[in-house]
Amino acid sequence: MAALTRQDLNFGQVAADILCEFLEVAIHLILYVREIYPSGIFQKRKKYNVPVQMSCHPELNQYIQDTLHCVKPLIEKNEAEKVVVVIMDKEHHPVERFVFEISQPPLLSISSETLLSHVEQLLRAMILKISVCDAVLDNNPSGCTFTVLVHTREAATRNMEKVQVIKDFPWIVADEQEVHMEEAKLIPLKTMTSDILKMQLYVEERTQKT
Amino acid sequence: MSRDGWRKKASEDDGWGGRGGYMAAKISKLEEQFQKDAPREKQKDGTSSCIFSGVAIYVNGYTDPSADELRRLMMLHGGQFHLYYTRSKTTHIIATNLPNSKIQELKGEKVVRPEWITDSIKAGCQLSYVQYQLYAKQKSLNFTSICARGKQDLSSTNDPFKPNPSHPHIIEEDAERPRVNGIHDGDDDDACALLPRGSQDTSLTNGYVHPVNGALKPQDSFAEHSPHVVDIGSHQSHLPQTESRDREEPSCSSAGSKSNFHQRSLISTASPAKQPGLHSMQKDLHPKPTSNPGTSAAPQKGNLHDQTRVRLNGSYHMTPNSSNLADSSHQPGRSGKGAEAGVISEFFSHSRLHHISTWRNEFSEYVNALQSRRRAAGGAVFSGKEKLKKLKANCSSGILSLWFMFVRQSCILHVDMDCFFVSVGIRHRPDLIGKPVAVTSNRGPGRVAQRPGSNPQLEFQYYQRKQKQYRKDGDLEMTPSPQCEEVPSNGVDLDLAALSMAEIASCSYEARQAGVRNGMFFGRAKQLCPDLQSVPYDFQAYKEVALSMYETLASYTHNIEALSCDEALVDATNLLVELGVTPDDLARAIREDIKEKTGCSASVGMGSNILLARMATRKAKPNGQYFLRSEEVDDFIRDQPVSSLPGVGRSMSSKLTSLRVSTCGDLQQLSISRLQREFGPRTGQMLFRFCRGLYDRPVRSEKERKSVSAEMNYNIRFTQVEEAETFLTNLSMEVQKRLEGAGLRGRRITLKVMVRKPGAPVEPAKYGGHGICDNFARSVSLAQPTDSGQLIAAEAIKLFHAMKLDVKDMRGVGLQVQQLEGSHADPSGQGPSRGRSIKDLLLAKQPAHSPKKDPLAPQGWSSVIRTGFFKSSPGLSCRVLDLTLVKHTYCKGGLHHPHTLNHVRTCLNVSIEVPSPSQVDQSVLEALPVDIRKQVEQSWRHREEQPSTSSHLSTPPRTSSSPPPGPSLGTLVLQLPNQLGQPCTTGFILELPDFSQVDPDVFAALPRELQEELCSAYRNKGNTQAHVQAQSSAGDPHKKLFPGNSPAKSSPSKTLPLPLKQPGLKTENVQCPSSSSTDVPETLSKFNPRPVPTLAGAYEFSDIRTLLREWVTTISEPMEEDILQVVKFCTELVEDKDLEKLYLVIKYMKRLMQQSSESVWSMAFDFILDNVQVVVQQTYGSTLKIT
Repeated sequence: MAALTRQDLNFGQVAADILCEFLEVAIHLILYVREIYPSGIFQKRKKYNVPVQMSCHPELNQYIQDTLHCVKPLIEKNEAEKVVVVIMDKEHHPVERFVFEISQPPLLSISSETLLSHVEQLLRAMILKISVCDAVLDNNPSGCTFTVLVHTREAATRNMEKVQVIKDFPWIVADEQEVHMEEAKLIPLKTMTSDILKMQLYVEERTQKT
Repeated sequence: MSRDGWRKKASEDDGWGGRGGYMAAKISKLEEQFQKDAPREKQKDGTSSCIFSGVAIYVNGYTDPSADELRRLMMLHGGQFHLYYTRSKTTHIIATNLPNSKIQELKGEKVVRPEWITDSIKAGCQLSYVQYQLYAKQKSLNFTSICARGKQDLSSTNDPFKPNPSHPHIIEEDAERPRVNGIHDGDDDDACALLPRGSQDTSLTNGYVHPVNGALKPQDSFAEHSPHVVDIGSHQSHLPQTESRDREEPSCSSAGSKSNFHQRSLISTASPAKQPGLHSMQKDLHPKPTSNPGTSAAPQKGNLHDQTRVRLNGSYHMTPNSSNLADSSHQPGRSGKGAEAGVISEFFSHSRLHHISTWRNEFSEYVNALQSRRRAAGGAVFSGKEKLKKLKANCSSGILSLWFMFVRQSCILHVDMDCFFVSVGIRHRPDLIGKPVAVTSNRGPGRVAQRPGSNPQLEFQYYQRKQKQYRKDGDLEMTPSPQCEEVPSNGVDLDLAALSMAEIASCSYEARQAGVRNGMFFGRAKQLCPDLQSVPYDFQAYKEVALSMYETLASYTHNIEALSCDEALVDATNLLVELGVTPDDLARAIREDIKEKTGCSASVGMGSNILLARMATRKAKPNGQYFLRSEEVDDFIRDQPVSSLPGVGRSMSSKLTSLRVSTCGDLQQLSISRLQREFGPRTGQMLFRFCRGLYDRPVRSEKERKSVSAEMNYNIRFTQVEEAETFLTNLSMEVQKRLEGAGLRGRRITLKVMVRKPGAPVEPAKYGGHGICDNFARSVSLAQPTDSGQLIAAEAIKLFHAMKLDVKDMRGVGLQVQQLEGSHADPSGQGPSRGRSIKDLLLAKQPAHSPKKDPLAPQGWSSVIRTGFFKSSPGLSCRVLDLTLVKHTYCKGGLHHPHTLNHVRTCLNVSIEVPSPSQVDQSVLEALPVDIRKQVEQSWRHREEQPSTSSHLSTPPRTSSSPPPGPSLGTLVLQLPNQLGQPCTTGFILELPDFSQVDPDVFAALPRELQEELCSAYRNKGNTQAHVQAQSSAGDPHKKLFPGNSPAKSSPSKTLPLPLKQPGLKTENVQCPSSSSTDVPETLSKFNPRPVPTLAGAYEFSDIRTLLREWVTTISEPMEEDILQVVKFCTELVEDKDLEKLYLVIKYMKRLMQQSSESVWSMAFDFILDNVQVVVQQTYGSTLKIT
């Protein structure tokens, strides 16, 4: 099989598919690990050959799905710079941010030797890191909520306004309050580099959480 | 773009050389040569006899002494030596071992051991061969074998080297002779075996004094040989030169004084007797078999082969072979091993193909020599340039020149002689001008009798089939095919089989019109074009003409790149600006000059880059010139066939045809992604650029070598493993010689073996040829670069055993050494003993290590690849292997910096490293500011670094320094003042063994300052040798694979998946991001938007950790440079968005440094952390949480 390049249409799609699937798993897991929702709503599932937790709350699931559905076109076009899961306290001040920083892989093409299993390996490592991240993070105050932010590149936001992927699920520009975090500490969790995507996950944590 | 891509695609590789007529011609030729050489040989040796008169031997397989020695002995003692066995003429077969089938075949022939000859010489008379018969069956027939004297001889002469021709003869009466004769009358085919000596004497003289060689009087030949015995390297006496001229004259009688002048000024014949045996070998080796028609060509040819040393206007280039050649033929009683090695080196020193292929190097050398001479003379006189200047002044064509002054774009001239071999061949034969002429070895009508015993049809069919198949599915495999289009498709043309198989090396344009092509067999061509005239090869003349062409070019500018013997690239950009002439004027002047000086026409293509210049040449031909203006490029290139692009060979053009692409215009329609999908990223990119006329390689007069190899595919018939091993040893010695000659050491050894394809005939159609073969290759990487033949041999033999081949089926053996590095063993630059002693101390452990380690290595690694890793995920393993290749390339690239860079941009490099004077481009030096230059010169003089210099050295941007000394060179400067004076800093650094091989006890015992030196040296070493470090840390399976033997088939051009590719790139890029664009092959750098950050060459976390640990634990006080280096690395990690690694590194450092007893380290860590935090803060708006 010949080598595929980024210019090929389905290349971006494939990468976006893989990434969004991963993000879904990751968000569920973050919500579980950071105890945003009671652990009762989570079920143990297996993904990437490791146990993960997934919420059974249909509305929550729908929200996550919709969100990612909208993120996907951005990722396809390589317009999303960061996908951030922000955990906020009662006052809607962020206490933690899980930042998935997505960048283009350095090599612009993939070949037949690009194995999905290899990517899966890397994603698995990331999942495992998330599931143990509570060890390096301080506990969150009670009553936290979460939101998902997307840092886009350049003028991608404008296009998002025009093309609503899902009806009645528009995006809004994030409040400065949601984005800004004082005295944040950065904890790198994992970096992965594969043929189709390069991504690193780090957590920014507010020094004083309570 | 590798040079190979440009190589002519004609059909140099047809794998099926001539036979039949070619053979017949060759045999007679060989006899002539033998006879011609004999008197000389006799003269030289002083002792001669006629004891073997009437004896004609044929040496079969490996013998001791070697076939060459035997040949020489036969020369000396009145015998004949047949390189090819002829039942009717050959009287004795000399062999030490014969396979059973051969014994059957040779039933009734006299097969004797070589001792027969040596003993006979010793005895001063021809002994009975009965004693020395090889086979018991024969012995049983010959009862007399148990005669007292024979026994005695046998026992006394087990050492084959004892007999020495110059030895006083131990005269024993050969009373036995008649008896022997009597005994063997029965089974002899011919009666000429043992005739009374006296009767043969007259015929002997007649036979051996060749008419043409009348000029070669005994004293002449003596004079010619003696200097070489004394000192072949330096002797350039006038005598041999005139000598060669004398000998030349009869052959090219019509040659004017000009050619003689050239010869005198350029070439002095160096070496003695050529060996017919080897002649024929080389002929068969390459697919352009040649034998000179006409006796008149003989001395000429002799000259050519004698020219292993060529004197090029003051600087002469000596191939390593020539010395050996002289050795082997001038030292009668030398050891057997050497004699064997001599076979190989003689083989190469005689090979014509080898010669022609080395010409390019010679001409490159020539250009370099010119440049250095100019530097020495402080500016050269460019006669041609001056002339042109005057011309221009006369007819001041202001407007034209103004145009070019304004445009001032680069202009490359591609100068190519028009059908070089032909035009040289007929330049003194005006009668042939305008007629279809072909240069070939065949002199007859193109028909020959078929040699019995061979099955050419079968081989022919094989190649035909292969070619068809190849055409059908566009097989990418390199297929040697005898003819391209001309193969008759209806099975085997029996008639064709009888046609001459001599190949046409070159044919005139008239012949081309008739459908004759280069590389076609002469017989076939004769059918196509009955008027076709054949012209013999005239290598001497080729050389002359080529040299005068280069001289002509050099009279304009020294910006010349030698492409081959008949084509060169000239960067005329500056020249044109300076002269203010148009490219067309310049080209015209050059062409006129060449025509005048050589009598041959040249075509010149001009363009703004090399690619366009070459394409323009196509249009210019024949005998024309064409300037491809940049505005015409688009139109021009659209109509060019894709096959005219460099690198587009048969396989690629057939693949392109399947994509319905035939012209560059078609190719332009394809998107780069499509091309990359079809051909891989690099090739795709290359095509994409080429078909738009984009090519940015500069003209470079100097070239780096990628590999050094020796290969022999002729007459390889082993019967025993030991023979193969001996052969490999000898071949290794040859490789060693070449490495030494090139001043290089290699790290990777590849053994290539041709093995008879199962089912192929045991004896190929071509005598001694390799027939239909499978090719196998195996490689191994060494821990240290080497040029030791012994080491190479040991590895090669191991590889050989690992291949588990049947030695009997081996048809060709080649050894290649890659990953070359400059050998530091330049005796002139012996650094101060202090610097070296450390290295020696460490190296003392090396020999014990490497042999132990390496034997296991190849098998172990390969098995890892094959079994576990390969099976589970082929993709990954391929990547690893590819990576190895890429990495090697890069490392190599890095190491070659000091040699290869001669662009102005590298001047910083030079000043930083302060290499030995010989390695510094003088022009670069001149370009430096006066004070810097002085400093550099000073450093050479004193081999002592001045403090002022070091301060200077640290001022240039660190990024532009070349990898080997690295940015942390400052450490070296301060601590190892003497070290900098060493001829090659890289050499020193590379000589260090791996970390793992440093005995900690030894290390601990060193004085502190030495330890520090070592550490900094290791850090430097890391720059270039990351993979060595990887090798040394055994934990990671990936890393173990790096140095492992990646099979040769894994192509480096394949897509390199990222994670593993990065390490390869980093070696070069990070350390010198600014210069990377100049040195890295541009295609690759394109695919590397961001290099992976490295710390002193280390990229894997474990390596970095090792490095840091060494740093912190061995040094009491960190250098500021080192700290900055770490900070830089961390910053790069942030930029590379690899926070995870950064985090790990920081945490590791924290642990290390804060544990350290020295408080300095804690401070160092705080400093690093502060800096890193600032960068992180800037990038992410938050700081790292360090707990």
